[in-house]
Amino acid sequence: MDRRTANNLFRLLVLVGCSAPAAWLGWQWFFGDLGAVPGEAVVHFTGKTGLILLLLTIAFSPAFRFTGWVGFMAARRQIGLWAFFWLVAHMLAWMGLDQYWDWPWIRREMVELPYIRYGVAALLLLVPLAVTSFERVRKAMGWTAWHWLHRLIYVAAALGVTHLWILTRADYLLPMLFAAVLAALTLFRLIDAAIHRQ
Amino acid sequence: MSRYRYPSIPESQVTPRELFESRRRFLNTGLALGAAAVAPGLLWPRSSHAWQGVLEARLDTQLPSHDLAGGEAPTSLRDITTYNNFYEFGTGKRDPETFAHRLVTDPWSLTIEGEVDKAGTFALEDVLKHQELEERIYRLRCVEAWSKVVPWIGFPLANLLKRHEPTSRARYVVFESIHDPDNLRGQRRSVLDWPYREVLRIDEAMHPLTLLAVGLYGEILPNQSGAPIRLVVPWKYGFKSIKSIVRISLVEERPPSSWEERNPEEYGFYANVNPQVDHPRWSQARERRIGESGRRETLMFNGYADEVAHLYAGMDLQRHY
Repeated sequence: MDRRTANNLFRLLVLVGCSAPAAWLGWQWFFGDLGAVPGEAVVHFTGKTGLILLLLTIAFSPAFRFTGWVGFMAARRQIGLWAFFWLVAHMLAWMGLDQYWDWPWIRREMVELPYIRYGVAALLLLVPLAVTSFERVRKAMGWTAWHWLHRLIYVAAALGVTHLWILTRADYLLPMLFAAVLAALTLFRLIDAAIHRQ
Repeated sequence: MSRYRYPSIPESQVTPRELFESRRRFLNTGLALGAAAVAPGLLWPRSSHAWQGVLEARLDTQLPSHDLAGGEAPTSLRDITTYNNFYEFGTGKRDPETFAHRLVTDPWSLTIEGEVDKAGTFALEDVLKHQELEERIYRLRCVEAWSKVVPWIGFPLANLLKRHEPTSRARYVVFESIHDPDNLRGQRRSVLDWPYREVLRIDEAMHPLTLLAVGLYGEILPNQSGAPIRLVVPWKYGFKSIKSIVRISLVEERPPSSWEERNPEEYGFYANVNPQVDHPRWSQARERRIGESGRRETLMFNGYADEVAHLYAGMDLQRHY
């Protein structure tokens, strides 16, 4: 298999892997398998999927560094946009299925509840990254500026993990797992940068 | 992660209740006749299914029913039994439904101890035989801002406590849930300090609204709802209504309750439903009624203010949350 075919196959795999959860969710919704409060199940599922994809996006660079396989870089923009898609879906699900488009309350919760604030901040930080993810914009910005801007993904992921952490009631297994993965990825990035500077 | 799924049966294949029960009566009669014929003088061990038989016979009779939820329709049995917080089985809302079959409820005994004249450990059937059962439809408000309307069957806790004659030093009532990590998978992780513990002030415990429930929707309480016997305190957040009780102690000085111990800033000892006192991380002004869309306004003392507000007269409820 030549390199281009391999990259395209991997991109296809990312496409299927990132869209399949939507099909699963739709299926469960349609057949009433999401439990007594389906709206809440959708909010939780979209949030977790988005956060996992965000961490996977970050993980694609070290995966490239370790394996040297360019397929990871070829699919990085796509998976990053999928993470953004799922997190936007998460916010819309919260507004529609949890808050029932009650704008005064949505505004109030955004102002008053710290975990909502962290979540909104994370999503806002991702907007410029999504907008500048296209080849033409990237070229126009120049590589250095683009690179600096896209380091915001670490901040957004940290805000996302914080959001999950502070809405957890007692069982911290999942937020601790996410925090550990993000810490490992950040550490790798710092070490990698230090080595390359020398 | 694979999860056990209950097989779903089309409505057409479900045995109608009358048929099912007549078959059960038929079998019971046959069994009784057979036993009488073959084994006179043989003492059948009654350790297993001891209280279930007693309770089933009582549930078959016409029980008085009291609507204390303002005429609101009860939440569906399916929603009541598939969306639960019962951390002994896991922290997911559907974990109790999935894993509750591991809870062994029969035989069951209840220890009543401490500042009472008649302490001891009693088989559940002996506890039940002294109590008049009734149905009570109550609102249930969880601290997580969701609510249900539940048709419980049970008896006032006061009726049990009076039988055991609390002493003048009994100021608090401490309840303890079953501790069985072999069967209760949630107890293998220290999410809370097991076993689960709850505490009421004696006047709260003796209040006529405070119920010990053994049934739901006219049937024996399902395991995920706290079988075989659980507390229901309708004006407090749901976590006060401790499930699967094995021990009731009357004491002079109270220990902290489980959630209070876990996080005293967020879960107070009183935990009275109060739309004016928010949880530090979310609002308590509104609630989601399971089975409805939209939100409702939360009622002071969950709508039971007329009955219970006097218990807290003169107290600063912002401080004693």
